[in-house]
Amino acid sequence: MSAPAGSAPLPHRSVANIRSPPGAGHHPSGPSTPLRPIPSNFGSPSSLRADEEIIIVEFGTRKLQVGFSGDPAPRGCVWFGPDQQRRVGDFREWQTDYRYDWRRAARHGDSWGRDHELWQYDVRGVDLGLVGDKIERALSEAFTKYLLIDSRPRRMVWVLPSSLPIPLLSAALDSVFSRFQPPTVSLLSSPIALAVGAGVRSALVVDLGWSETIVTSVYEYREVAAKRSIRGGRMLVEQTHKLLAKHLPEDQGGSESKQEYVLSFEECSDITTRMVWCRPRQHSDDDQPASGSLPTVQEHDDAEQPGDSPTPGRTSTVTIPLKSWLSPTSLELPFNALSEPCEDAFFDSHYSHTSFDDHELPLPLLVYRSLLQLPVDVRALCMSRIIFTGGCSNVLGLRGRIFDEVSELVRERGWDPVQGKGVEQLRANPKLKRRGVRQTGESPMGVSSPPGDGEEQDGVWHDAANTAPEADPIEEQLQRGMDRRPRVQGELRAIESLGAWSGASLVTHLKAPAVAAIDREVWLQHGAAGAVRASDVDYKAQRQSLGAGGLMRGSAAGSAWTLGVWGAV
Amino acid sequence: MAALTPYTYIRCPCSDVSAPGRPLDGSSPMAAAADDNGAGDDDDRTFDPRAPRSNYSLYPLEYLLYCEDCHQIRCPRCVAEEIVSYYCPNCLFEVPSSNLKSEGNRCTRSCFQCPVCLGPLAVTSLETKPDPSLLAAPDNAAAPHAGPYALTCSYCHWTSAEVGIQFEKPNGIHAQLAKLRNGGATRLTAKERKERRKDPAYRTQAAAAPAPATAGGEEGGPSSSAEVLDLETQFANLKAFYQGQLADPNSADSGLAALSDLGFSSPTSLSRIMSIYTGGGWQDKKAKSRVGAMREALEPDEGLQPARLDESAAIDRLRSEGHGATASAAQLRDQPPNLGEAHLHGRARFASELRPIPYLLRTKRSKRCPVCRHIISKPEAKVQTTRFRIRLVAGSYIPSIAVRPLPLSSSSSSGSGGSASGPAVVPGALLEPLRPAHYLLTFKNPIFEPVRVTLGAPARTPGRFASKVTVLCPEFEIDANTDVWDEALKESGERDRDKDRRRRRGEEGGGQSSSNNPHHSQLEVGKIWERGRNWVSIVVEVVPASLRLAPGDPPLREDEDVLEIPMFVRVEWEGEAGGDDVGAAAGRDAAKEAREKRELAYWCVLGLGRIKQT
Repeated sequence: MSAPAGSAPLPHRSVANIRSPPGAGHHPSGPSTPLRPIPSNFGSPSSLRADEEIIIVEFGTRKLQVGFSGDPAPRGCVWFGPDQQRRVGDFREWQTDYRYDWRRAARHGDSWGRDHELWQYDVRGVDLGLVGDKIERALSEAFTKYLLIDSRPRRMVWVLPSSLPIPLLSAALDSVFSRFQPPTVSLLSSPIALAVGAGVRSALVVDLGWSETIVTSVYEYREVAAKRSIRGGRMLVEQTHKLLAKHLPEDQGGSESKQEYVLSFEECSDITTRMVWCRPRQHSDDDQPASGSLPTVQEHDDAEQPGDSPTPGRTSTVTIPLKSWLSPTSLELPFNALSEPCEDAFFDSHYSHTSFDDHELPLPLLVYRSLLQLPVDVRALCMSRIIFTGGCSNVLGLRGRIFDEVSELVRERGWDPVQGKGVEQLRANPKLKRRGVRQTGESPMGVSSPPGDGEEQDGVWHDAANTAPEADPIEEQLQRGMDRRPRVQGELRAIESLGAWSGASLVTHLKAPAVAAIDREVWLQHGAAGAVRASDVDYKAQRQSLGAGGLMRGSAAGSAWTLGVWGAV
Repeated sequence: MAALTPYTYIRCPCSDVSAPGRPLDGSSPMAAAADDNGAGDDDDRTFDPRAPRSNYSLYPLEYLLYCEDCHQIRCPRCVAEEIVSYYCPNCLFEVPSSNLKSEGNRCTRSCFQCPVCLGPLAVTSLETKPDPSLLAAPDNAAAPHAGPYALTCSYCHWTSAEVGIQFEKPNGIHAQLAKLRNGGATRLTAKERKERRKDPAYRTQAAAAPAPATAGGEEGGPSSSAEVLDLETQFANLKAFYQGQLADPNSADSGLAALSDLGFSSPTSLSRIMSIYTGGGWQDKKAKSRVGAMREALEPDEGLQPARLDESAAIDRLRSEGHGATASAAQLRDQPPNLGEAHLHGRARFASELRPIPYLLRTKRSKRCPVCRHIISKPEAKVQTTRFRIRLVAGSYIPSIAVRPLPLSSSSSSGSGGSASGPAVVPGALLEPLRPAHYLLTFKNPIFEPVRVTLGAPARTPGRFASKVTVLCPEFEIDANTDVWDEALKESGERDRDKDRRRRRGEEGGGQSSSNNPHHSQLEVGKIWERGRNWVSIVVEVVPASLRLAPGDPPLREDEDVLEIPMFVRVEWEGEAGGDDVGAAAGRDAAKEAREKRELAYWCVLGLGRIKQT
């Protein structure tokens, strides 16, 4: 927890650096003894608890990242996989003649790659205990291998996707509370952590995750809206598999032709991370406003698009060695074909925008729509703070492509939620337009005030321009605290975040209290059923009862606690 | 299919505790019902070794420890660990724990792993490289003083010179590497960067300097318009920014902060106490100062980093270099987080961006019983020794179970001792479905009291393919593990006789009743098969299920053809009166009763063999 030297420390917070108060005029700086951090439970045998090492765990569907708060990056990352689910002492994966029989596993229902996932959000068929076991094993591996810590109880901060279902969260908490016995676990939602990690208060977080893509709008550190699409990493890998399978010779299929998958998940996933790329927007003339470009017209003639990329060797081929096929082989692919999975998984641009269901919107449309549904001021802030994150944001060119497509959509449509033939007609037809203008012109100011609602009758109402605005104390305070510098808004801009883990590390390091902080005893007593809604918790009362830790300890069992955005049962 | 030697797994009782779900787990019975494995075993709680969860609770006997005070098995999941020492597994150098905090969890000397194959890297001089044909010993000796050095993998011949990393000195590689980017361009350490941040003169220079390095592919560096922060710098900038914001006058001395250091020697608390006595000044200040919001970061100096979305350079590189030049996912996973990189999206992708991996440190851990806090395993603190000061392995407290096939039908089995067996039972032979097979379970008692063992096994194994199991003698007693000296004195003769007896019995196949072993080779229910000084063998009869799949059934899972028997073992014994026993039993009888009855019960899983697939 010791802050690295030199970073301007808070005199009153990071007591370790108390000797160098930076510009603290209000600090009665006298001769002072350097302090040790005070354990938060007075009088109890605090030696059992590790001093101030807060462990930050970021849960993803496929991996787990752990580290200490205050570090810029996680110390270790554990991926889930079938090898992790073996019995202890089962060393068969190290045997030379052993190969994980993924075909067999794959034919068990839906599990091509499922054993590489920690959980599925569809909890109907999930063995929650198994999820807990997986988490426990992964965490203990991470603790032993990367953090090198003993099993004294330590406080934990979890970074979780905010759409995590309560049963999964509950299973995770159960398992961790019973095995690792942290005194508290605080929950942070990853979009917020990302926003913190980018240094902004509002953001549009585009999480190109494994199971789905989630676009979350964060406004003033609050998640105000989220939209999702199933177009995520899993789909990308499946598309990659489809592409590879298409190019494989088929004759050997014979007996196994009914088999859905011909390559192992590991291999496809590997190839996806290595080779799959995303072609840039097609008629991007250096961001000049293209005249009559419709995004739906993007022709999907792959590989031979001449103006596609300005590279000389565009017909180059790539050789990909495949090991998990029936016999090891190597596959020659045109390089451009390797952008197809990305195209199919995230854009599907050869379908019209209206043909998608809500759960499978292509990503540009998803981003556009989530911006569209935001209130104007929120949108203005969010659109200039787009944060791409998630595993698929590492696909080369994907971020740029999404960004370009979104700006194209914005340029083309503006922020008009209504679109379609009727609107086009309205725009095109001057007669209709005039009427529309007149209609809107009749009610000049108020959006909601119906015209002719007796403004003349009521003198007080009428003279709205002259009345002194009511003093809003909160607004005033906000204004006073606000920096006068102009904020970037209204233009599309992507910014880079340190990542959710690092954001959480910052949050924790700065000792900001988490909304959802779960005390171990309370959890073991009540479980998730004890949580109340976030709005029902009296933070003020809790804050008063804080100990030294910034992350609050819901001290008594009587006080209400919440799971925050994760809801209540 | 690989041959399968019979095995035994023990399920630590600690897994039972957490098994009943929380109130919320209303869905878990449903989940269990949906799982076709768990169809029948819900009520009687037969342990199902095939359930995916059981993989997490089963351990070989060798992994288990034993708490002498709680008389309970302790598995790796249910021990409390304490770290004795940290060390590098490569140089076996002990690392003080203070270094761990400051310098991370990796060896900071010259121990590196190959990023390609994970082999150990050695520092070699590059000078000798150009003329390997003329390698002569004197040259070799002289060369290291000269030229630059590189890390070389002796296994896959990767060398750090490939990625443009060369060192001036052969030692202190870690520190040198921290200053080098791939490609040889220098990289600032955290301290230098901090200084540079303060110095505006450097900034223009810095903007130019990373460009050639990033051209290596990280971000495809065009001349950077804005400063590209690396991860560490951005983090530091952000941290400084946030701290500055929080320390702004309008948020200083918030109630939280004032409460948060209640250290009695701290000046703030002194002033707080003073202000309590002098009146409400403190309160007012606090109330006033609660106001105010932080603004957001606006510049790179404050940690804001505009994204650079143009990745065409990297795509072009991918196009020209192809699959072979990229790093595999496994290789990337092993890479340590490189704080000097541009940002997360610039994470290494090409093989030329892989960096040598400093060895992860390891720990020696002592283990305590979580209940009574007694130490149950404590290694020597010295890194080089592999000995333990205390190590209470479960194998010396609970009966071990050895499984071997029993050749009943053939009368010509000659070598019955050890794991070798008669011609009828080839080790690892497949079990014929629906044909009874017999296995000999040998329970060996490691403790110095006679123990009473009760076995329970479901008549049909859980899972899709239910084999029939009959434990012919589910209750028996095993004699004490008598003193070593007794054994030494009296055994040699008797042992031979015992062996003779056994062999003879095997050969003759007829009944041979002795006072000790009142049984016949003809299996008798309720009789033990054979008995020795501290061991007892019993027979289990199994009728393997047929693995025929109905059409439409999902195919066999991995290892689903292995015949595994869950067996509940209950061991009872009477502890001796305090402390007059020898050896390991000394500490056990802290209680002062003359004889104390103890029991231990656990599930175990016997893997007998693979069933032949028809």
